[in-house]
Formats: sequence, C-alpha cells, structure tokens
Amino acid sequence: MLVAFVLLFLMAAIRFPDSFLHADNLRNLLSQNAYVGIIAIGMTFVIISGGIDLSVGSLVALCGAVTVLTVNKAAESGMVLMVALAAALAAGAVAGFANGAVIAFGRVAPFVVTLAGLAGFRSIALVLGQGGEIRSTVRSFGDFGYDGLPIPGLTNIGGKPVILYWSTLAFLLVALLGGFLLNKTRYGRYVIAVGANEKAARYSGIDTRWVKVWTYTLLGGLVGLAAFFNSARMNSVGTGSVGLYYELDAIAAVVIGGTSLAGGKGRIWGTVVGVLLLTLIGMLLNLWRVDPNWQGAVRGAVILIAVLLQRTTKPEN
Amino acid sequence: MTFPAVQALDDVSLTFEAGEVHGVVGENGAGKSTLMRILAGLQFPTSGEVHLNGRPERLGSVRGALEHGIAMIHQELNLVDELDVAENVFLGREITRRGVLDRRSMIAETQALLEEVKAPFGPTARVGSLSIAGKQLVEIAKALAVDAAILIMDEPTAVLSAPEAEALFGLIQRLRDKGVTVLYISHRLPEVLDLCDRISVLRDGKLVASFEPRNEPVDAQTLASSMVGRPMSDMFPAKSVPPSGEPILMVDRASVDGFAEEVSFILRPGEVLGFAGLVGAGRTELAEALFGARPLRSGSIEIAGESVTIRDPSQAMRHGLAYVSEDRKGIGLILSLSCVQNVTLANLRAYCRPVLSSTREQEATARWKSELDIRAGDLDAPVLYLSGGNQQKISLAKWLETDPKILILDEPTRGVDVGAKRELYALIRSLTARGMACIVISSELPEIIGLCDRAIVLREGRAVGEVSGETMTEEAIMRLAAGVEAAA
Repeated sequence: MLVAFVLLFLMAAIRFPDSFLHADNLRNLLSQNAYVGIIAIGMTFVIISGGIDLSVGSLVALCGAVTVLTVNKAAESGMVLMVALAAALAAGAVAGFANGAVIAFGRVAPFVVTLAGLAGFRSIALVLGQGGEIRSTVRSFGDFGYDGLPIPGLTNIGGKPVILYWSTLAFLLVALLGGFLLNKTRYGRYVIAVGANEKAARYSGIDTRWVKVWTYTLLGGLVGLAAFFNSARMNSVGTGSVGLYYELDAIAAVVIGGTSLAGGKGRIWGTVVGVLLLTLIGMLLNLWRVDPNWQGAVRGAVILIAVLLQRTTKPEN
Repeated sequence: MTFPAVQALDDVSLTFEAGEVHGVVGENGAGKSTLMRILAGLQFPTSGEVHLNGRPERLGSVRGALEHGIAMIHQELNLVDELDVAENVFLGREITRRGVLDRRSMIAETQALLEEVKAPFGPTARVGSLSIAGKQLVEIAKALAVDAAILIMDEPTAVLSAPEAEALFGLIQRLRDKGVTVLYISHRLPEVLDLCDRISVLRDGKLVASFEPRNEPVDAQTLASSMVGRPMSDMFPAKSVPPSGEPILMVDRASVDGFAEEVSFILRPGEVLGFAGLVGAGRTELAEALFGARPLRSGSIEIAGESVTIRDPSQAMRHGLAYVSEDRKGIGLILSLSCVQNVTLANLRAYCRPVLSSTREQEATARWKSELDIRAGDLDAPVLYLSGGNQQKISLAKWLETDPKILILDEPTRGVDVGAKRELYALIRSLTARGMACIVISSELPEIIGLCDRAIVLREGRAVGEVSGETMTEEAIMRLAAGVEAAA
C-alpha cells in the first residue's frame, strides 16, 4: 500500500506540478482527514482485538455537542480549552467504556452493540442540539481550530507561513503513541493475543474481558479527541451531520492498511498510510474534476483492490 | 514439494496394493503428511508422479482426487456441526430433483451407508451432537458414498477411546475385505502392527524400511528404531524414590457440572501423578476446573496447606499452577504468533518495565530453545509452521516460564513423534527431580505406567481407583477405566 501511495503521489506531482506540489496542498494531505485518522488509530486496536465499532461517527456528534456546550458554559474561565478537551475525552471514553462493557461482560457481538451506539449516540446528540447546530459563543475556541505550528521555511501563495494545525499534530502524535502501545507494551500484546485466539489468551491468564473494555474505551477517548478538534475548527457542531460515515472511512483506512478484519494482526503505520491514501485519492479526483457523485464508487473500488492485493501476497496457510 | 529450507519428501516411491491396509509411520516431520497431502490432491509434488491402476494421473485438487476414488479422513475432522449427518455426507454433491433438494433419497442412501459402518445413530442426527468417534464414522460414510477405492486415515485413533478404536479396526478390516485400500497413519505402533498388512517407514523425507508383519513378525521396538534411525533404549526415565513430603496440592471432593463428581486426591512435590481413563471420563474438565478455566461446582482445593479459591486462570497461575492443554492448536498456543510471543505470553509481566523488552524476550526464548532442544529456524516466525513435537515444547516452555509449582500436562505426547516423546518424558522427570509436582493426563496406558509414580483412574467423572507400583498394570487400569469387575 505504501507503494501504491508513493506511485499515486508521484503521478499527482508530475501531472499537477503547480496545484498539487503546493505547500498548502501538501499540508492538507496530512490535515484533511486528521479527525478520521485519529479515530482510525483507535479503530486499528479494536479490529486487531477481533472487534469492530460502528458507533464512532455518531459518537463524534455526541462528543462534539458535549464539547461545545462545555465551551459555552466555561466561557468565563481562562481554562476553556482545557475544560472542553477534558469533557470531550471523558464523554468519548465513557461511551467507549459502555460499548466495551456490554460487549465483554454482556457477551453481545460488537457489531450489534455498536450498531445500537450508531443509532443511540446520534440521537442523544440531536436531543442536546435540539435537532440542529450548537454554536460556540467563544471566539478563541474557533481560533484554536485554525491554530498550529508554522512550518519553518514554508509559505503559501500569500506569503504567509504554512501552519500545521494542532489536530494534524495530534493525529501524528496519536499514531506514534499507538504504534508504541501496540508493539512495546503488555497491553498491546494482549490485544493481539485476544484477537488471534481469545480462548488461548484466557488460558494464558489474560483477563480478556478487560482487554476488550479498555480497547473500546481507548477508541472512545480518541473519538472524543477528534470531536474536540472538529468542533473547534467549525466553532460549532452540527449534530445531525457531523461525523457521518466516519465509521466507514476509519474502517476502510484500517483495512487498506493491512489489518486483518478477523483480528490478531495489524499495524498502525499501515492505518496511517490508509488514511493518507484515501485523502490523496480524494484530492486527485478533485484535481481531475471527477464528478463528485462518482467519488464513492472510486473509494469502494480502492478498498476492494487493496484487500484483494493483500490476499494474494499472503502465503497459503 | 519443498517447503522453505526443508525438503519434506525426497524421491519416495511407494506401491499400494488393492485391498491392503498399508501403514505409514515416521516421526513428525518425516514426510508422512506431505505424502498423504499429495495423494489427497491437496499439494503438488515438485517431481514424480502418481500412478493409479498403472496409469499416470494428475490429481490436481481434492475434487480431482475424489474423482479418482481417493478420500482422506483428516486428523481435524472436516464436518459442518450445524448440519445433520445426511446433509454432511452429501455436502457439495446434493441430490436434487428439478433443482429442489431430494432429502428423502439422501436420507435413504445415508441410512444404508451408516448401516455399513455400523453407526449407532441415524441420518438425521445433528453432527454437532455426535462424539468424535461418531463424527469419524460420518467421515468414513462420506468417503464410501463416493465409492472411494483408497481411504487415507491420518491418526484416526488419536482421539478415540479403546472400545471405539476396536470398533474402528473392525470396520477397517471389513473395508479391506471389500477391496478398499486403506492408508493408515499413526503414532501408535502396536495398533499399526496389529492392523496393517504392510508398513512403510519414512524418515527425513525418505523411505527407510518396509515391513510385512503378516509374513515376518516385527515388534514395536524394531519399528521405533527404524523410525528414529538409532536403537531405542528405554523410552522412560527411571522413577525416583516415592516422594513423601507434605502435599503441595490437596483436592477434596471436587465436582464439575456434567464431568466430574466428588474427586479427591493429593499431590506431593517431586511426584508424577497420572490421570488415567477413557476419553470422556472427565479428566480434562477436572484439570480445567482446577486451573480456573471452568467453574468448580463444589469441593475444596488446598495448595501448600492453604485453602484457595480459583476462579480464573490468572488466579491459578498466582498459586503456582500451570496447565499445558491437550488442544495445542486451539488453547495451548496462538498459532499466528511467533515462538517468542508464545513463550512469553503467560509471563509477559516479567518482560516489561513498563516497556516490553524484545531483547530480553528473545534471550529467554533462545534459552528455552536450547534447554528443550526446540527445532525452530526462526524464533520470530509463527509457531504454525513447527512440527507437533516442537509446538508442544513451545507450549511447555510458555508454562515453565511462569515457574510453576504444579504442572498439569494434558495428553503431553499426543501427535508427538517417538524421539520427542522420549525427550518430553526425560524432561518431566528432571522437573520433578527439582521439586515440581506434575499431573499427567494420558490415554496411552504405557505412558501412564512408564512415567507416573501413581495414577488415579477416572470413569464417568468419578475416581474409581488408584494404582501405583506393582498394581499399576495395563489390565488393572483398563478394568477400572471400563468398569469391568473381574478379568475378562
């Protein structure tokens, strides 16, 4: 997949040297799907553990609603960003914990539990937003969404420095920490073991139920983080529309990245490449002025091709 | 076929006559399975060919082999538990009438086949409800349904109790008398000697000997020697003086729902205690309950004089228990993980502070590799690719890693070749010499008698007797296990 990404990247660079190889545009390649990216890292853990989470898109709306309501409540305090971030993370983690607890202790299939979450979380968000948008009344919150680190030496057409948004940095940081967590800690090894053979893991003295609960909680927290950045960027939250299809984009990125939907094996950097590949394809389709109605079909085809390619490179049994 | 770095089969030529039972024996990795996979159409030979009735044939696939009358009964049975017997027998070749399944004909034909194999169940029994022996009969019926002329059986008795195995031998003889050729693979040499008209011995991918026991009697020792390539000195290590220390484990009236009723026993440090009995006597379930992997209904457990409650395997491990499962592939190991990851899995806590140290994991695994003589090329490769004996050693290493005081070994030598068996026996003795206490669950009587200091015999979940020293004979154990009062 890395090869596919590099090839497409070179193709774009040669075909559209001006518009594509532009500093702003390259930054966008990283930042455009940072929200989905943050979620996809958590989704990688869930899928490696042998599960799935369909509720993340709706949870973005719910966490976003909680975030903006908190921002408006805490408008007076000087700590508005910190308080809002804490609220977003807590809301996401609690929802993820609930998903995980029902899955692990209630022994209900993850697909079913998170399908209920898909319906339920969105509904609660709509109730909080009275069916529509919740606007933030704090300007600094919205400004934060456009803030970030200026990249030294890079300027855009207007001569202003190109900024790497905080959300993009968070995505990269989450990916690094995720890779560390999966490969260098006991928890990560347990996630792989539970996904590969839950019974064998249990017989090895691993408390498989808590491993699952923490995995869904981790994903929930990351959804909260994504929702925090997303609502800062908008300085509002559209409870009916925000996060729609994020679950599909996140799962697609994980699968394209080579993580097995059957569980037991996967890689974080693959998911990062998956996110970037999906973004790159979206950009190319825009540069080529492909009818937006066709873009879904192209994405679908990309997912299928990626999985088929990975199948044929696997050794037989 | 050559596998990475190992040539599984090297220029082997064999002839199978119509209507013979032909035994194929050899250590794990000798090439038996590869040979059988080629005949069953699962694998292509890199050179050489298969002649059937004198004509060279390309088998190509399982379906191709079946069309040529070759059927294989796998070690892991390939049946769909959710379907009934008739549906399984006709799976993939359903009889239809105008596009609709003709259940009546399929049931009638299955009924006839089941009578032929003397199955104690009907065509509409759900396969999931049958015992392993029953499933095996379904597999055989399935082979007969396509008029198989050659039947390949891979370790068919590994999961059968003695009476079930006897019934299977009867069936094999009836099939032979009808002109069916049976290729019989087994690690149990006495039954191979009894059953087979000819025996071919494979070693390191080569045919090294063949015997015709009907013409010139062979004994198991000779057969084992030719498999291993060196004379087999005594299989079992010497037993130690009967230990007499304070018991490390006392189990009082332990019951497991549906499997064990009020079983009591004690275990001393340095002792090897056998759990003998037929398959299904509740030995595995009792061991799993002691290990916390299934609920204990009643009864008490004392470890080192202290009363303990064990609700899950992690608690059992804290009390110094370890359980090496009989189901290596399903429970004992995680096949997709590497040797290193499997070895450290139960003791991972020791390798993180708090970051996992892969160097220390590697070192520990390399230590076990040399200590247990594990033959694995790449310790980072999945354990899937190792032979049965080496997988068993990895599984053992994983539990020895936890430094247990009480080691429960469930069928430790199932699917393990003669050479590795001998090493495992020696290893178990060296562990108990260092004060570890072992429980060995085994269906192989010579193993119980040769290895254990004492054995309790279970029948239908109850401890029906204990044997040791002079009283530990195959006859005594069988009598207890089968519930026969006097000698037959």
